[in-house]
Amino acid sequence: MTKDILIIGGGIAGMQSSLDLADMGIKVHLVEKLPSIGGKMAQLDKTFPTNDCAI
Amino acid sequence: MLDVGRHPNIELLAYSEVEKVEGEAGNFRVTVRRKARYVREDRCTGCGACAEKCPTLVPDAFNEGLRNRKAIYSLFAQGIPSTHTIDADHCRQLNGKKCGICAKTCQAEAIDFDQKDRILDLNVAAIIIAAGYDVFDPSQIPEYRYREIPNVVTAIEFERLLSASGPTGGHLDRPSDRAMETEIEELEKSVGKSQKALSKFEEKYGESSAAFYEKYRSGAYPNDEDRKKWADKYADHLTVVEPLESLKKKAEGFTVAKRLAFIQCVGSRDFRFYPFCSGYCCMHSIKEAIIAHEHGPDTTSTIFGMDIRAVGKGFEEYKIRGGNHSNITYIRGRVAEIMEGPDNNPVVIYEDTRERKVKRQEFDMVILATACAPSKGVVALARTLGVELDSYNFLKTSPLSPVDTTTPGIFVCGCAESPMDVPESVAQASSAAERAAEIVFQTDLIKEKAVA
Repeated sequence: MTKDILIIGGGIAGMQSSLDLADMGIKVHLVEKLPSIGGKMAQLDKTFPTNDCAI
Repeated sequence: MLDVGRHPNIELLAYSEVEKVEGEAGNFRVTVRRKARYVREDRCTGCGACAEKCPTLVPDAFNEGLRNRKAIYSLFAQGIPSTHTIDADHCRQLNGKKCGICAKTCQAEAIDFDQKDRILDLNVAAIIIAAGYDVFDPSQIPEYRYREIPNVVTAIEFERLLSASGPTGGHLDRPSDRAMETEIEELEKSVGKSQKALSKFEEKYGESSAAFYEKYRSGAYPNDEDRKKWADKYADHLTVVEPLESLKKKAEGFTVAKRLAFIQCVGSRDFRFYPFCSGYCCMHSIKEAIIAHEHGPDTTSTIFGMDIRAVGKGFEEYKIRGGNHSNITYIRGRVAEIMEGPDNNPVVIYEDTRERKVKRQEFDMVILATACAPSKGVVALARTLGVELDSYNFLKTSPLSPVDTTTPGIFVCGCAESPMDVPESVAQASSAAERAAEIVFQTDLIKEKAVA
């Protein structure tokens, strides 16, 4: 039986899920439509409410 | 992002799409299409020499079309993986023209014009959908004149203008001013060319073009073909120089945008489009106003909204801080129309509901806080996965199991489920990860039972 997990979308949500599962020792396949991951959040300059850098 | 790229347990399949899914929780068989990048991932070092030399310019979607990229590109500078990609729609070589400059430039010999899409079969226990959202296209609202008035931009476009790595290097240059500067550059190029041609004539006949033209017009050289050419060239030159000078004079007065207007609920809480509240836009506008004020302390911002929804930890305090320290004025009222005033300044017409008066106010730039629209690709994706969507085309979930889709073993998180901000997306993503992990560990339990 497989233990792998597929995640569709490499934005902030997909990245967070991937890291959580990978840290649990589960093999993750992260599929992203665009050439790089990051999604909409990578386009943001800063994030509220702390004005932290988004990347 | 970097952690995702480096983690030994994560196989990163960027530039890929899910084509087919079969099976059930604990045992899904998935077909993934790895689209051809025409660049070998095992060789590309991401140095960018190819993109420097590539002759084809394409509007850069990552920067919302506010600048151009090349036909071979990396999505953005820090992009992971850093492997470059050839845009097959625009590449000259791939469209049958002679080029191949990138292949000649690449020292790693990574360019492969014959690369084909690859099909990958996966066997997984669970699936998480984190397909995100699309930005609502405000040109559907004719009264806001997005795309008609150049200085009316969306929040995400404004975000790129604010970004130090964006098209203006973080300066709030207005789109109309940038367009005029490009026009000036082009005119200067053509003036430079005609100047060259004129100086040849000037050398040949030993007088200035202006002096010659004066004489020519008074009929001094009736049958001189060569001088006629000179005169025609000079006449053409004048038609370019005059508008160039007037544009240059105008451009001298350009400053960065200082009077900003933010318009809330563009497409959301609007029964013509999306009745729901997109949740993050109020805070997004406040954040953009605060950052703009950090860039220029004399920047003033006016946020027009039905109400400011600052629901979240530290959000209300952030809103108040913006009002007290970042020159933000909050006006309760929905904007009826945006018109174009003098100097490409947008004029906002609105009803101030506190004073019960219809008012108009001029700004340097207007920013539309656009709705969080369901992503266009999600309908096809839901069909492939066999999960249901709600009436807006977000993934269907129930309030008591907010990350479970209608199919067991398939979970959802982030804006594919409903509009939400970054902290909420992160929380939901961890929740979906945990739900998916349960499936994995359950299969472990079943196996143990079978052995026992």
